[in-house]
Amino acid sequence: MILLFALMFPLASAFVLLAFRNADAAARAALAAGAVEVLLLATCAWKLRVAGVLEQGRYLRADGLTLFFLINLALIFAVVLVYSTGYLRHVPGGRFSSPRWFYALLFLFLFTMLAAYLSSNLGVLWIAIEATTLASALLVGFYNTEGAVEAGWKYLIMCTVGIAFALFGTIALYLAAVRGGVPAARALDWTALMAASPGLSAARDLLKLAFVFVIVGYGTKIGFVPMHSWLPDAHAEAPAPISAMLSAVLLNCAMYALLRMEAITSHAIGSSFSHTLLLAFGCLSLLAAVFLMIVQRDLKRLLAYSSIEHMGIVALGVGIGGPLGLFGALLHAFNHSLAKTLLFFTTGKVRDTFGTLRIDRIRGMARVLPYTSIVLILGGVALAGLPPFGLFVSEFAILTSAFSGSHYLLAVFMLIAFSIGFGALFYHLQRMLSGEPQAPRGGLKILASETGAICVCGFGLLVLGLHVPPVFQSMVNNAMAVLK
Amino acid sequence: MGLIEFAAAKTLASSAVFLFITVLLIAAAKRINACIVLFAIQCAVITAQIVALAFLHRSVEAFAVAAVVLIVKVVAIPYALLRISRQLKVTPAVVVSTTPGQSVFIVAALILLAFAVVQPYARAFALDSEMLAAATAIVLTGGFLMVSRKKALMQVIGLLVLENGIFLAALTTTFGMPFVIEMGIFFDLLVCVLLMGIFIFRIRETFEHVDVSRLRRLRG
Repeated sequence: MILLFALMFPLASAFVLLAFRNADAAARAALAAGAVEVLLLATCAWKLRVAGVLEQGRYLRADGLTLFFLINLALIFAVVLVYSTGYLRHVPGGRFSSPRWFYALLFLFLFTMLAAYLSSNLGVLWIAIEATTLASALLVGFYNTEGAVEAGWKYLIMCTVGIAFALFGTIALYLAAVRGGVPAARALDWTALMAASPGLSAARDLLKLAFVFVIVGYGTKIGFVPMHSWLPDAHAEAPAPISAMLSAVLLNCAMYALLRMEAITSHAIGSSFSHTLLLAFGCLSLLAAVFLMIVQRDLKRLLAYSSIEHMGIVALGVGIGGPLGLFGALLHAFNHSLAKTLLFFTTGKVRDTFGTLRIDRIRGMARVLPYTSIVLILGGVALAGLPPFGLFVSEFAILTSAFSGSHYLLAVFMLIAFSIGFGALFYHLQRMLSGEPQAPRGGLKILASETGAICVCGFGLLVLGLHVPPVFQSMVNNAMAVLK
Repeated sequence: MGLIEFAAAKTLASSAVFLFITVLLIAAAKRINACIVLFAIQCAVITAQIVALAFLHRSVEAFAVAAVVLIVKVVAIPYALLRISRQLKVTPAVVVSTTPGQSVFIVAALILLAFAVVQPYARAFALDSEMLAAATAIVLTGGFLMVSRKKALMQVIGLLVLENGIFLAALTTTFGMPFVIEMGIFFDLLVCVLLMGIFIFRIRETFEHVDVSRLRRLRG
């Protein structure tokens, strides 16, 4: 029952929140609903840790892999919600851009992602992933400026078309399963498919076709190059907390869908085909993203391209495979979500003070905003994969697995790409931090909620960078065991 | 063989031809409203096909799917699109980057391509190669409409045509997906069209036109 409660509560909250016309009341109600939801998810996680697998009806199921991503989602959602209550001071009201719509859509967005994580059926998974686009499109266009409307439209069209390819792939997989003797009613069930997958090798070509469509489809949402063009626009034009949600949890959610599909494919026809595709998309994304980072002129677009880079790294980790590669990939997805949330939160303050996020118009930030600058530098260090932060550990694990798997060329390629990414990031950061400040328009005071949200992310990064706690370690191991 | 079975078999045998005609006509159409009506006709052909299949398989679920397709795709979505196109008060012409003749030629080539690519799969799985080719051709045409038409509303129609093709592929290969999944997909589609409607109005309000090829502020 707890799964059903945890899933349905955000949906109910979304509708209730629409009734709060007063901004402060809406914020308080959203915080209360968020606290209840986080408690529900924590209970889920606790029960899941004890029982291993939870099932509810025909369509709800949670296992070790779900647990890992659920914790990621719950953590990021909690900090985003707390941060939003302060952030919404800056947002001018409009017909769909009032605080109540913001919170309602945010909870709806949470609901769709939870549905994706908790569904046991690949068809329902597809429906939920498509619903994430629908729920977040209005949030991307929340500011209603020219840029925001354009980004929202592009996001809606590109992701819907992309996801349609994933539906085609899902249908092909369904066909293969039905022809392989799985009863039609259970032929989209993940556990049934995993159990039947060794017997599906007869339909080799069809499974390959299915995986190509699925990786293009879900890859569009993950932001793999060359299907990435919606991502920088949407991340740059959305309000800062939504950028954090998109980058930190939505991309992981799509990656989760791809991981489930990949497990079935590699069980049925061996891992070489799917791993090669993942490596190809990973390399392309990493390479294109680090070069595009050099020429960016907007801080949030810079961060968006860095998301593409890190999703490429995650794909490389999965593609290299082996226990260490997969461990690194999962850990990297988690670490990246913390680092990116932290950095998107700081952009809120930067925009507020300078009135822009154009890198060439921001000068002397180190003097105007000393604390924000420190956070920005630390976030940059974390994002570049330097110690003592978590991304160092996960990137190191992926590199080690590349070397130990004799992928020397790939490892050298990754090292070069990391250095270019590092260079690009700090080139832009130092341009903003140094120089004479040109009379900024002076923003609002930083609230405790914003500081708190940033501190939580930073603390998480530091803990995962210094020493991965045993509890976390066993959680990642359980997640990996599911895919084996 | 009874008369109804005969009618069902005839419907199944001839629907691929009708579907090819609709995609060619959509490619040639010069007005948005004509495209919307053609889309509705295409969905009506698919509905007839589901009814025929439902009858042959004696499946109650398939009749329900046919009813939902009829309500959602033949009536509700075209009606909503026609309303949007009327309220937008823009010129009804489809602004294209190719002439109608070129469009028809390209779509005809896509149909040939579809026939060529589906042959191995149709043979391996003993499927109706014409229907599979029709599904593939509709997907390709939908994609072609989306890249060659400039108005926001035409992009929505292209997307809907593309989705029709995928639906048809599921219908011909596996006799449709499980009922609950099918309903979920329809719900997503309906919400998607609704949201796109909202965005089209916002594009008009903020840019004072609906030519999406002129949305070029965000680059690089």
